[in-house]
Amino acid sequence: MKRSSRDSIILYATVVLTCAVLVFPIYWLVITALSEPDQLRQLPPKFWPDHPRWGVFGQILAERPILLWLGNSALAAIGAVTLSMVVSVLAGYSLSRFKVRGGPSLGLFILTAKMLPATLLVIPLFGIFRQLELIGSLWSIILAHATLIIPFTTWMLKGYFDTIPRELEQAAMVDGCSPLGAMFRVILPVSAPGLAATALYGFVLSWSDYAYARTFLTNAQGNWTANLGITTMKGEYVSNWSDISAASILVALPILLIYLFLERYLVGGLTAGAEK
Amino acid sequence: MAGIKIEHVTKSYGNLAVLKDFSLDIADGEFVVLVGPSGCGKSTMLKILAGLEEASSGKVWIGEREVTDLAPGDRDIAMVFQNYALYPHLTVAKNMGFGLKMRGTDKAEIERRVGDAAKILGIDHLLDRRPRALSGGQRQRVALGRAIVREPQAFLMDEPLSNLDAKLRVHTRAEISALHKRLGVTTIYVTHDQTEAMTMADRIVIMKDGEIQQIAHPDTMFREPANLFVAGFIGSPGMNFLQSPVTAAAGGAQVRLFGQNVALPVAGAGSLVGEDAIVGLRPEHISAGPGPVSFEVQPRLVESLGSEQYVYVELPVENRVRVGQAVADDDTRGHSLIARLINPDGRPPGERLTLSFDPARLHVFDAATQGAIQ
Repeated sequence: MKRSSRDSIILYATVVLTCAVLVFPIYWLVITALSEPDQLRQLPPKFWPDHPRWGVFGQILAERPILLWLGNSALAAIGAVTLSMVVSVLAGYSLSRFKVRGGPSLGLFILTAKMLPATLLVIPLFGIFRQLELIGSLWSIILAHATLIIPFTTWMLKGYFDTIPRELEQAAMVDGCSPLGAMFRVILPVSAPGLAATALYGFVLSWSDYAYARTFLTNAQGNWTANLGITTMKGEYVSNWSDISAASILVALPILLIYLFLERYLVGGLTAGAEK
Repeated sequence: MAGIKIEHVTKSYGNLAVLKDFSLDIADGEFVVLVGPSGCGKSTMLKILAGLEEASSGKVWIGEREVTDLAPGDRDIAMVFQNYALYPHLTVAKNMGFGLKMRGTDKAEIERRVGDAAKILGIDHLLDRRPRALSGGQRQRVALGRAIVREPQAFLMDEPLSNLDAKLRVHTRAEISALHKRLGVTTIYVTHDQTEAMTMADRIVIMKDGEIQQIAHPDTMFREPANLFVAGFIGSPGMNFLQSPVTAAAGGAQVRLFGQNVALPVAGAGSLVGEDAIVGLRPEHISAGPGPVSFEVQPRLVESLGSEQYVYVELPVENRVRVGQAVADDDTRGHSLIARLINPDGRPPGERLTLSFDPARLHVFDAATQGAIQ
């Protein structure tokens, strides 16, 4: 059916508007980073600085331990995602394949755990980590993030495994694999897009955390994550928003790059099973 | 290669018995087809043989070895699945060699055997492709190839042709039969298509509701069905069923069909005198024109296939089958009769015509037990 020109105009206008709303904060972050601090509050606002401060990124990297913070964030995210994937691959596969008594209730219980707001768990987790002497250690946020990530990734993976025909692992078992061998040799390679999408989801969840890092790591400066580190750049009376914005861009960059590289897999992973 | 022995195998899910006391001896090199409608337990039996399902009771032997509790990979069988179950992340060559690799066969030997099997199946030019780059027929061959490279004791095939289009199905059917003759490996083949069963099997095992109805050579099953279900299932179009009370006659028993007394051709029919019989008549045993028993009909519908015609005729009310549906709940042939006329004249549709049959061709079933009377 041919679309009328009026419909096309409405469609494109909606798309442009949506993109503008989504992109504007990023654009504003960039011009804030590139502007002189005294130009930030001028009226009317400038939509592109006269003399962009391209050197701000190098300056921030030299003045602040951004790389250390990024490294800590990466360690925490990789640790949390690795732990979560090990648990949720096995849990999701079991929920998808094995009919055990109470299986569906167990699945729902896992999902219910996700319904709790993250901040609700801060206090009990703090109590547990203090007893385990993990406060100040990266392990505290690795474990805390895993509690957030596992329920979601378990369900995402269960959904993905449901779309893979059982005959595949049956064929592998007839070919000589054990049930676990069939999972590792056949099901997991076939699920690569789903695994990538799920892992990236967990990575973003961990990378963007502030509340847990603030609670568990404040007193361990060497273990600060990027988000926690950036907030310390805000002074009590004066804040250099240009520098903070520049640091925020550096922190957002890794996620952006990962998305760009994995986009092909992610789209496949997130839409798999939508149609036969 | 080896024979297979299945002894009193049952399978239940809670109170639901899907397989009731299944026993079968399969000779070395035999091609046995398990056939029956959906839900009859044939695929469950195949999975129990493969070790993919556990039997509730009973034992299974492959060759001299009892395999009831062995893992699928330890049974030395190969299976072809309905949806082929090719590993999508592996090339055709790796798909075919996967089972050998799992068994620790050395690389050169895997390559040799994969190459040989690919040549037999005519897929040697596809070895580097992934399954998604293959047509349905090619995938089917790869699935067969994966089974034959293993040189197993037995092939298990679970409706391997049902995803192919009609033309390719006929072609592949013949290829599988030829492959079986060439390799001589014991094969158990599951299908719901009676034509596949008839054309491929050395012996057919026909099942209904988890029970074996008859085990026989295809021709025997066609000529001497054990009961009403088998009679209705085997043959296309299916057998016509007519019901009538049985009365005594000189030298035996008779029924009344199309308003005429017709002597029953079986010695045991005398035992049905005073009761109802269901008489079976195959569509191809009805001819146009006068014969030993002739009757005039007004066809309800005539389907022409060129070389043959299917003539649909309403049955007289007194001959309609009253014992529920003869074969399946949706089977409506109790009210009508189909005649399959070979090389028919070009008569105009809607014209009355005379049909006839030879009473010697009739099959007789007890209406109460639905068993065949010999």
